[in-house]
Amino acid sequence: MANFAKYWLGAAGVLALTAAASAEPVELNVWTIDRQADPGYNYVMADEFMKLHPDIKINIKRVEFADWANDVMRAVATGTTPDVAYVDNPNTPFLSAKGALLDLTPYIAESEIVDTSKIFPGPLSTVTWDGKIYGLPRGSNTIALYYNADMFKAAGLDPDKPPQTWQELYETAKKLTDPAKNVYGLAFSANSNEEGTFQFLPWAQSTGADFDHIADDGAVRALEVWQKIIDEKLASPDTLIRGQYDSMATFNAQNAAMGISGPWELPRMSKDAKFDYRVALLPIEKQGDTRASALGEGNNVIFAKSQHPKEAFMYLEYMYSQMPRVWNEFGFVPSYPVEAKDPKWPAQYAVFAESMKYARARGPSPDWAKISKAISTAIQQALTHQADAKTALTTAQSTIDGIVKK
Amino acid sequence: MSALLRSLRDGRGFDAALASLALAYLFVFSAFPLIYNIAMSFQEVDMFSLGDLIRPFVGLANYRTLFAAPEFWSIMANTAIFVILCIVFQLAIGFGLALFFQQDFFGASYLRGLFLAAWIIPALVAGAIWKWVFAGDFGVLNYLLISSGLIDDKIFWLSTPAISLYSVIIANVWLGIPFNMILLSVGLAGIPKDMYEAAALDGAGPWGRFWHMTLPMMRSTIGAVVCLGIIFTLQQFDLFASLTQGGPANSSNVAQYWSWQLSFQNYDIATGSAVSVLMLGFVIVVAFLYVRSTRQEYRA
Repeated sequence: MANFAKYWLGAAGVLALTAAASAEPVELNVWTIDRQADPGYNYVMADEFMKLHPDIKINIKRVEFADWANDVMRAVATGTTPDVAYVDNPNTPFLSAKGALLDLTPYIAESEIVDTSKIFPGPLSTVTWDGKIYGLPRGSNTIALYYNADMFKAAGLDPDKPPQTWQELYETAKKLTDPAKNVYGLAFSANSNEEGTFQFLPWAQSTGADFDHIADDGAVRALEVWQKIIDEKLASPDTLIRGQYDSMATFNAQNAAMGISGPWELPRMSKDAKFDYRVALLPIEKQGDTRASALGEGNNVIFAKSQHPKEAFMYLEYMYSQMPRVWNEFGFVPSYPVEAKDPKWPAQYAVFAESMKYARARGPSPDWAKISKAISTAIQQALTHQADAKTALTTAQSTIDGIVKK
Repeated sequence: MSALLRSLRDGRGFDAALASLALAYLFVFSAFPLIYNIAMSFQEVDMFSLGDLIRPFVGLANYRTLFAAPEFWSIMANTAIFVILCIVFQLAIGFGLALFFQQDFFGASYLRGLFLAAWIIPALVAGAIWKWVFAGDFGVLNYLLISSGLIDDKIFWLSTPAISLYSVIIANVWLGIPFNMILLSVGLAGIPKDMYEAAALDGAGPWGRFWHMTLPMMRSTIGAVVCLGIIFTLQQFDLFASLTQGGPANSSNVAQYWSWQLSFQNYDIATGSAVSVLMLGFVIVVAFLYVRSTRQEYRA
């Protein structure tokens, strides 16, 4: 009897499969910021996924990162959203809070691949809104302190003991700064857009402050350290108008002895930097403080209007399952703990992977863009001495209160 | 029916058809976006209502937010400084060059043509070049100034709040000179040569000829160049995007860049629209003056 039932179930399964195969092939529209030649994450994933599922066709459209918000806005406004898209992590709550994204919670409950309890708290908080999950991280990145070990040795510093605290960072930067040789102690970015906020926030967060209480004493002290570094020209004044990638170019050219940036620097650094470059965790105010680090990269999401949510979720699941490869192939840090086999730049990978545990999301808030602007404005006002750190951050706080409590 | 066809082919109907084509074009591509922009500045807009025409009306709330912004007045002052200095220097240098190339010397017209090269360069490329020139640590300008002994310390042209706006102005003056020069050259070419000969015979010196003949004859051309210059200067966006992004701390921010930042970086489209409506009002005044200055030209 049992065999009989199995037989019938099997036959029904075969019938269902043929029915699925003979049905119209499903087409998924996917938007990404990857470049095809990079090698682009979504291009690689889509190719592999289509080989596994010949009945699903994926059309990829590339959107420039700078135009992303513009294009998505237009698509949401005109009802022409894709099925699946990449969304930068601070922008995810903006979409999920407005109901533009598909609630994945019921799909995840039935999934055998996705277990959200494993995802690091930082990336998980960016896809969570109101207790529901609206996306899956594709990988993450974070920032840490790069340093030129050769310069450490030349200056009589121990290259195995990178600065651990803000005070040590300041003193080391001071020792390594050499105007005669055009060398600054530190390179980082305090420009007037998202990158400035991205770099500053972990400093504030490690003291217990955050965007919704950014005028706390810890954040003020952090900003005062930045002020001191800029005032004493331990970092170039152009730090105020340079992004992270341009700033780190000066580190690679040995015009800065240390630099704060993320793992995306490594491919270029391994070509350009002719010295022993190492990475350490971002310094904290004093030993024993909680660590914090920035959280970059983003999430794969499904738009609420997708006609093929089931197939779209299968694609999301597939991408999610490929997390162990993302470091070597795409330069992301895995968003949940994985066994990375034979990682490239193993020493640097170890630091960034550890740093991921402390990575904290920006926000999450649907109005992140405005909050971020308030913080970067405060940073710039303090660094140009238009206001002292306390006043600048208090102004930012009142702006942010107005945004959050609206 | 045939009367209508005839009228369309040759007559009033034909005129009306041509005019309505132009009007339809103007309406779709100029009037509609402008009105849409003005409407948005009185509404509550977010990215999800971007496609709708009917949105919550908020009266002057967006303008109130704008005027209450701590950076509002400094950005307006920056915009005024930017426009005035750019126009003054573009016009003065452009006029000087136009007069220079008006002289009869070998290769004058070829050299004048070469000046247009700067005008052909896209502003974004010009911005990238000026960024190299102005770079603080390894910039061309600092290198020249230090090696010629004019300064001892590097000047951070783009990241010093007191200087950054003027650096952008220098780049924009450079970018605008050829255009001014060519338009003014055309105006100069229109002044009859025999008038100068007659004046010279009557004993007018070069200064006298310039003040009492060239300048008055050029009045409408200069008016047009200034008006167009104001409009082009208010459009200048790429140089800000590539040089300073309005920073540090908004010290080089101007209305047109701010409007873009509000709309497309903060997604605060309504307030961004309000900024552009303020600019629109100003440009309408300038355009009105421009139309008047060219109308006199037709009468003359």
